[in-house]
Amino acid sequence: MHFVQLYDRVETDPATTAALDTSPLPGIWVNSNPDTNGIARMAVSASDGSLFIQAYAIGPDGLIDWGKTELAIFASTPGARMAAGFTCRYDFGFAETVLQGMLMKGLLVLSQFHRFKDDSKRADYFLREYFALEHGRF
Amino acid sequence: MPASLEFKQNSHLDPQLSDPGATASSVEKLTGHWVNTNPETRGIAECVIEPDGLDLIVTVRATGVADPIAWPPTRAAVFANMEEEAGQRTSALAVNFGFGFMKSETLIRVNKGVLVIVLFNSFLDDSGRSDYVTREFFYRAD
Repeated sequence: MHFVQLYDRVETDPATTAALDTSPLPGIWVNSNPDTNGIARMAVSASDGSLFIQAYAIGPDGLIDWGKTELAIFASTPGARMAAGFTCRYDFGFAETVLQGMLMKGLLVLSQFHRFKDDSKRADYFLREYFALEHGRF
Repeated sequence: MPASLEFKQNSHLDPQLSDPGATASSVEKLTGHWVNTNPETRGIAECVIEPDGLDLIVTVRATGVADPIAWPPTRAAVFANMEEEAGQRTSALAVNFGFGFMKSETLIRVNKGVLVIVLFNSFLDDSGRSDYVTREFFYRAD
């Protein structure tokens, strides 16, 4: 088995490996910062065995729908079968945004890498924000 | 800033993004030799971030069975960090390590003097292992 760090050394049998449990992710995730200038909320949904995200960001005239894109799902270890994070990519033409999400104690910590591809000479930039899952219990 | 700029969120229009002074890469807080705060880690033991012209090169030594495993030195993409914590604003790095059987999308940033490395590891083989994410912390050793 190939490995580049000891974490990678987990013996698994691909024939009997269970699918990843992605149940912690679907739902509506809301930014903890009401004054954000970035993503206000995200809808994560399942379809045909995959997970998709639809982000809504703050614009000058209201929310901007980024549309849906598929998530790559990550567990906490190579032997774990519970979702603990995700990555995805949006290509807007003039810019590309990579999102990296990690679940921590019920909170979603979202890192955003914004890379401009136009000639605006804007600096590529990084943001990190926190999102809570709407649960409607309280 | 011209009004014709394309955007998908208000922060794309932040005037600071067009101000070289405001987004100047504060990479000196990132460069150097960093050691994992956890002596029992099964992940990255230490890393070195060093300038190469205008770029940064990241060299990692990870835990192995007998000896540490040297990862190939890899160029980082530098991102202006719009966060400011405790009066600090330091660039964030994105690094994509490729190992053939696995790839690792990596975020590196400094938070109050601690280097934080987040790895999103994706297996490309048929081993049945789950893709997984780790977050580890490093202190400056130089």
